[in-house]
Amino acid sequence: MPGLLVNFLWLVGILAEAGVVVCALKKGAFRRYLLLNLYMAGLLCVELGRYKILSEYGLKSTQFQYFYFYSDAILTIFLYFALCTLYSHVFSEMKAERYVKLGALLLLAGTALFTYAVVQQSSAKLVTHFVVELSQNLYFVGVVLTYVLWGAILKLRETRTRLIQLVLSLGLYFSFLAANYAVRNLYPSLHTVFIPLVQICGIFLPMAWAYAFWRLPEEARLVPSRLAVIPR
Amino acid sequence: MSRKLAVVFLTMLILVGAMGLKTVVTAHGDGSAIMANGAGPAPSTPYKNGAGPAPSTPYKNGAGPAPSTPY
Repeated sequence: MPGLLVNFLWLVGILAEAGVVVCALKKGAFRRYLLLNLYMAGLLCVELGRYKILSEYGLKSTQFQYFYFYSDAILTIFLYFALCTLYSHVFSEMKAERYVKLGALLLLAGTALFTYAVVQQSSAKLVTHFVVELSQNLYFVGVVLTYVLWGAILKLRETRTRLIQLVLSLGLYFSFLAANYAVRNLYPSLHTVFIPLVQICGIFLPMAWAYAFWRLPEEARLVPSRLAVIPR
Repeated sequence: MSRKLAVVFLTMLILVGAMGLKTVVTAHGDGSAIMANGAGPAPSTPYKNGAGPAPSTPYKNGAGPAPSTPY
């Protein structure tokens, strides 16, 4: 079993994930951001399942490994579609939902094909290798998609505070995980510092989303920074 | 039609960008998983547990250099 700090951070993460769903339900935002909330609800269930399997079989057991990575792949696909719904929200006024759906499906198919092309050279455990690699590749697609979405938000002068908060927190979450991984491998001696940071990052996303649902009403708007006063 | 083609082009561009970013980030990687949905501890990837030398789990790595992935 992992140590006390790991378990404590894990518990905080589970509570934060439950908090997102509760806040969304309480503030009537569950259906509006359905896939985001379903992702969080799914994550909560998976976390509870992971805890049960971990406590029964242990961290190094095959059962935990398989449950962890297969559930992670499903969750990443969910997160990918949740991100695509954020695109739909941003482009809702442009009536571009059809194109967002087409792009999302094409990108998922392209990522799956690319993953298969890489993984097929592997001799053993092809399906498992594919599942883990697809999850990792989709994660990087998510990173780029979030940045593109942020660019679109800036370009379209989007002012919906809650939507901006959801997108920005997702961008920070993705960026931090990628940066943490890169730095961790550049400086292996600092593993003990960077590994708990991954868990803290896992807590950050649900907390930021819970804050967005709880404190920011759907009608809240940001003041555009480049408002110009035109004299008459 | 041109809009659909633009969507296809953008999709391919994003895919290439994402895989490029992955290559940059994992250039010095030890083969462990990057993505972590949730705050729980992550195990090592199961497909590395074969006859070849397996890297240790992300939570057990010490100061030593990690071996290359067996596949």
